[in-house]
Amino acid sequence: MFSLKPPRPTFRSYLLPPPQTDDKINSEPKIKKLEPVLLPGEIVVNEVNFVRKCIASDTSQYDLWGKLICSNFKISFITDDPMPLQKFHYRNLLLGEHDVPLTCIEQIVTLNDHKRKQKVLGPNQKLKFNPTELIIYCKDFRIVRFRFDESGPESAKKVCLAIAHYSQPTDLQLLFAFEYVGKKYHNSASKANGAPLGAGGGSSQKTPLFETYSDWDREVKRTSASGWRVCSINEGYMISTCLPEYFVVPSSLADQDLKVFSHSFVGRRMPFWCWSHSNGSALVRTALIRDVLQQRKIEQRVYNAITKSHPQRSDVYKSDLDKTLPNIQDIQVAFVKLKQLCVNEPFEETEEKWLSSLENTRWLEYVRAFLKHAVELVYVLESKRLSVVLQEEEGRDLSCIVASLVQVMLDPYFRTITGFQSLIQKEWVMAGYPFLDRCNHLKRSEKEAPVFLLFLDTTWQLLEQCPAAFEFSETYLAVLHDSTRVALFGTFLFNSPHQRVQQSTEFAISKNIQLGDEKGLKFPSVWDWSLQFTPKDRTLFHNPFYIGKSTPCVQNGSVKSFKRTKKSYSSTLRGMPASLKNGIISEQELRPRRNSLILQVKPAPLEPRDSQDWGVEQFFQEWASRPADLHGTILPRLSGAHIKLWKLCYFRWVPEAQIQHGGFITAFHKLSLLADEVDVLSRALRQPRGGPTPAPGPELAPSRLYFHAGGPYDASGTLDFLSSSFPFSPVGNLCRRSISGTPLSKFLSGAKIWLSTETLANED
Amino acid sequence: MEHIRTPKVENVRLVDRISSKKAALGTLYLTATHVIFVETAPDARKETWILHSQIATIEKQATTATGCPLLIRCKNFQLLQLVIPQERDCHDVYISLIRLARPVKYEELYCFSFNPKLDREEREQGWMLIDLSEEYKRMGLPNNYWQLSDMNREYRVCDSYPTELYVPKSATAHIIVGSSKFRSRRRFPALSYYYKDNHASICRSSQPLSGFSARCLEDEQMLQAIRKANPGSDFIYVVDTRPKLNAMANRAAGKGYENEDNYSNIKFQFIGIENIHVMRSSLQKMLEVCELKSPSMSDFLWGLENSGWLRHIKAIMDAGVFIAKAVSEEGASVLVHCSDGWDRTAQVCSVASLLLDPHYRTLKGFMVLIEKDWISFGHKFTHRYGNLDGDPREISPVIDQFLECVWQLMEQFPCAFEFNERFLIHIQHHIYSCQFGNFLCNSQKERQELKIQERTYSLWAYLWKNRADYLNPLFRADHSQTWGILHLPTAPCNFMYKFWNGMYNRFEKGLQPRQSVTDYLMAVKEETQQLEEELEALEERLEKIQKVQLDRTELRSKQSEPSKHSGFSTADGSTANTPQDYSGNVKSFPSRSPSQGDEDSALILTQDNLKSSDPDLSANSDQESGVEDLSCRSPSGGECAPSEDSGKDRDSDEAVFLTA
Repeated sequence: MFSLKPPRPTFRSYLLPPPQTDDKINSEPKIKKLEPVLLPGEIVVNEVNFVRKCIASDTSQYDLWGKLICSNFKISFITDDPMPLQKFHYRNLLLGEHDVPLTCIEQIVTLNDHKRKQKVLGPNQKLKFNPTELIIYCKDFRIVRFRFDESGPESAKKVCLAIAHYSQPTDLQLLFAFEYVGKKYHNSASKANGAPLGAGGGSSQKTPLFETYSDWDREVKRTSASGWRVCSINEGYMISTCLPEYFVVPSSLADQDLKVFSHSFVGRRMPFWCWSHSNGSALVRTALIRDVLQQRKIEQRVYNAITKSHPQRSDVYKSDLDKTLPNIQDIQVAFVKLKQLCVNEPFEETEEKWLSSLENTRWLEYVRAFLKHAVELVYVLESKRLSVVLQEEEGRDLSCIVASLVQVMLDPYFRTITGFQSLIQKEWVMAGYPFLDRCNHLKRSEKEAPVFLLFLDTTWQLLEQCPAAFEFSETYLAVLHDSTRVALFGTFLFNSPHQRVQQSTEFAISKNIQLGDEKGLKFPSVWDWSLQFTPKDRTLFHNPFYIGKSTPCVQNGSVKSFKRTKKSYSSTLRGMPASLKNGIISEQELRPRRNSLILQVKPAPLEPRDSQDWGVEQFFQEWASRPADLHGTILPRLSGAHIKLWKLCYFRWVPEAQIQHGGFITAFHKLSLLADEVDVLSRALRQPRGGPTPAPGPELAPSRLYFHAGGPYDASGTLDFLSSSFPFSPVGNLCRRSISGTPLSKFLSGAKIWLSTETLANED
Repeated sequence: MEHIRTPKVENVRLVDRISSKKAALGTLYLTATHVIFVETAPDARKETWILHSQIATIEKQATTATGCPLLIRCKNFQLLQLVIPQERDCHDVYISLIRLARPVKYEELYCFSFNPKLDREEREQGWMLIDLSEEYKRMGLPNNYWQLSDMNREYRVCDSYPTELYVPKSATAHIIVGSSKFRSRRRFPALSYYYKDNHASICRSSQPLSGFSARCLEDEQMLQAIRKANPGSDFIYVVDTRPKLNAMANRAAGKGYENEDNYSNIKFQFIGIENIHVMRSSLQKMLEVCELKSPSMSDFLWGLENSGWLRHIKAIMDAGVFIAKAVSEEGASVLVHCSDGWDRTAQVCSVASLLLDPHYRTLKGFMVLIEKDWISFGHKFTHRYGNLDGDPREISPVIDQFLECVWQLMEQFPCAFEFNERFLIHIQHHIYSCQFGNFLCNSQKERQELKIQERTYSLWAYLWKNRADYLNPLFRADHSQTWGILHLPTAPCNFMYKFWNGMYNRFEKGLQPRQSVTDYLMAVKEETQQLEEELEALEERLEKIQKVQLDRTELRSKQSEPSKHSGFSTADGSTANTPQDYSGNVKSFPSRSPSQGDEDSALILTQDNLKSSDPDLSANSDQESGVEDLSCRSPSGGECAPSEDSGKDRDSDEAVFLTA
């Protein structure tokens, strides 16, 4: 619950584990004003007083006064002034409303408007003037502006330089997570109880991290993937430093063979299993085979093995992602353009050509390309019942998106929160997606690419089209995206699990931390959401559509009946596709033929590319003509009108794009109330036959929804805080136009009010 | 009938537009009112009905080996591609349809033969559903400043205006007539909307016949009178919704716009909404994008931008926002006009009213709004929507644009409207269908001459009767946003406006989302209702059962029952401790707030007894399984029989009776 002014916690209280601190914070009185809230291991590097944070660009009446500090984790603006106009409606427990983690900073611009100078600050640079203004461009599209008119010029300068220095570290171990975890270990060691905290307790307990043999084994069993086994040849990362210690391979391949083959693959990333369809078709990822001479031979051996693992012994379909999809450079270029469109360029000028500017970024086209490719593979897996091998040079970028998307479409488990998190662990974190490079925490921009964001965007498209199929909300996806910019969680910090072990062992030795028999330091997991949000705020992650699996079955606009979905997810998945029963693919055809194991190697003149397209189309049509099964396969519509821009993510900081009292959130709100009402009623109904202890039910099971009937936000009039940016607030983001300005002023005066940094001369 | 050359053609194929390889074989029928295609597939026999009045264009394409293709484009954006085996048949169909789609007399239109089997009284009542004089009363009129004028009785002043008009009290007959002579087609300034909170108003008219220098004292007095009718402001806005260039060009023809120097205390403002010809071709371009077989992302976005459609929508919205803000925030009255004041003016006035007044966001209010700003003020329906054979240059999607503006608003404020997307789509359909008399003719006068109300039926009554289909489940009547002005972002940007898939692609089944939010909500709502009903039924039974039990326990305590009933003797003990347990039974079950913790413990006692006989229910009492259990029991029809049909319920009942 949000009081207008959350009491500022003090420094000491954060030494305790977060769940307990909550109560502490609230009970402790405010001791001293303008005191930064620091995490364990966090230190203030520099600070400056009497700083003004700009809220609107054409007026200073809303500006806030306070202290700007730079720590080794974040920049923080501490103020006693209440937030004007509008406020956030969720509070990150790690970050205040005005805080920006250092790893979220994209660019630092200092200005002196008396001398008309400006400079973009890099690390270890000098500043020849005293800045009067500091503008921080954030990776999440925020722009924050501070004025130093009343502050000491020297300390202002020092803070700017400190921010520049600390936001662009040269070494991974300089990232705050190490300091934080180190502190935690020391603290727990001094408390004589060796177990370190924050390793991923709380809600993350349910999320399998795929660090252990048993997690993989359970996944194999969950998908009934007979013919596949967990192999542990990479224990201690003896084979590959970018594969997990345990992964799944065809049962027919012996460890010895795998060891031999592995040398031929880029990064020694041999083919490993992702997922199996209920019909036995498997999804496999692999890197390219470097050795051209060996290529055919090894490929055949491996594909043979995959075929053997298929219950129908059906062929293998190879999908060469490098040839069919945009590469990571393309994705990065598109993203930079998108950012320019959403943030940097004045809106008035792009307004007229909004659609073509949007097209010009190609972002949506790439979103569509990945969705389309995933649909094609879903067709191959489900309808043609072939195992699919995703091949990419390193197999660590595009494969992550495609593999995840295919699974999200096919397996309802991955559309639950826990399932989705386990999917990210499985296909991204453990599969060696280079988060460190792609998020560019160390500011070496040449490897930066928002591949993970692209995946979240594609997932959002599916969520947008099949809202009832997902347990999570779009707020969850946006918050997940933001969490990649907080360098505290081990989840998004490393290029591979091996790097975590290696770097943290190194760090532990240097800091004299006893690891015991642990493999590297245990960093906090992002899945432990209690570190970031209160239970109340976490209810925003829940999609009201999904509440209860008794999703009504609706088709062609009319409510048909309430379908009983008592069976578990897999039951719908296990069903045989109707088309196959009709003999479209007969058993005969499914038998592997000698020496022709690979569809792509064997050119099929009768099956040109076109007919494959047609097959997909047919598959899609058939799917669309069946009543929606939200616990079965979902497919996205791919026409231009259906691929949309994810406004909550990209536009939440833009004041102009905000719809007061409007936007999807109002629907979300109303929906939550309805869903909650259903919940309450069904609980009321259940009680008479619920058993002997239903009395504390309502208290024990708090509503899963942020808004609920009879809740504090139900009363009319209190909804004024809802806007299309909810729960985020663009106030305090550098606005290009006044928030209070009316279109009348625009119409009548025709004057543009811009904050223009462009007119200022560049410094030296 | 005489225009039908061939009533029936067999072995016609209807081509699926998305996957061109699929085509349905069937028979094509031509009737006096419809084109009907009946598929021959024995299991489906799917029928496609197209009203003649919906046909926009018919295109005969070059004959191929498979037959002669005929392309029918409809005004409701349906596209039909038929392949007729014989060229001669195709030609016959083509010629027949050309004639049938373009009737020359009103009497040929469908509404004159359409008979929904209502008696005369019902028909008259239908026409009375929407009453404009009621609406003006609702606005707070007449009052000290505004009065009903009978100047236009028998359409003496302006034949495209209604007879009942509100004008400022200080506007004399002389001023009105004088002003009307200085206005295009004599459409003098009259009230469209009165904002009773601050006396500001929205008035509408046509352009002044100012030419380069002409003035008219009465017209100046008329505007003065409008200003005086609003004591809160010392000026009025005059909004010309045309681009400045167009307005200036009109001066050469002796028309034009108000000169600020001649009128005292006006603020003149151009808002560039393009004319009907630009809009027509813009829609055409957008529909071409929709017709692309499988457009790439860039085809779609470029095509959409080049069509300019969303830009035009934004222009209309901008104008509406400007007026709404002037009225609500500055408290100034606004006079709106374009050229003749029946296209852009209607769009802008109705958008502004919709933003200002939550009443127009209700089902009935929206009908009133269309009746007022479109039908009564002489929007030329017949010309704009091509109901009769006429000048194709007169056709333009003017009201379509208004409906789209409403939809765009609905997308931005999902809880502010009582009606849903389907309502808009059905209105659009019937504007073209000519099935009802509402949208016939070009003015009230024509409609009266044609005796529309005596010879046809009203759409509003039909929509009202089926209003359950058109309700927005998200609508919040109590919501502060609903009972006030809709605040659009200060300067709505282009990216706020979206392509209306549900309208322009509505016949592309493959392009529709599987399930819309609305459909889900309807379902959730229905489920809630069912649960509530079920709860009620169960409560009743429970009460009954407990009553029986009570009687029996009383009996038992006297008769000293065997140990089997010991559970109930303890229950008796507990009741003694808490007397409210039984009072809780008497009062109705707190259906919505079991969380308050005051659920009657007698209820819980029965659960105790149930437990042994129904283990699987008590075992998985987590939320999900609970919901599942309930939903599967809810009968789909919506009627909630006391759940005898459910095995589990019977179990529990038996259990109750067994223990009892």
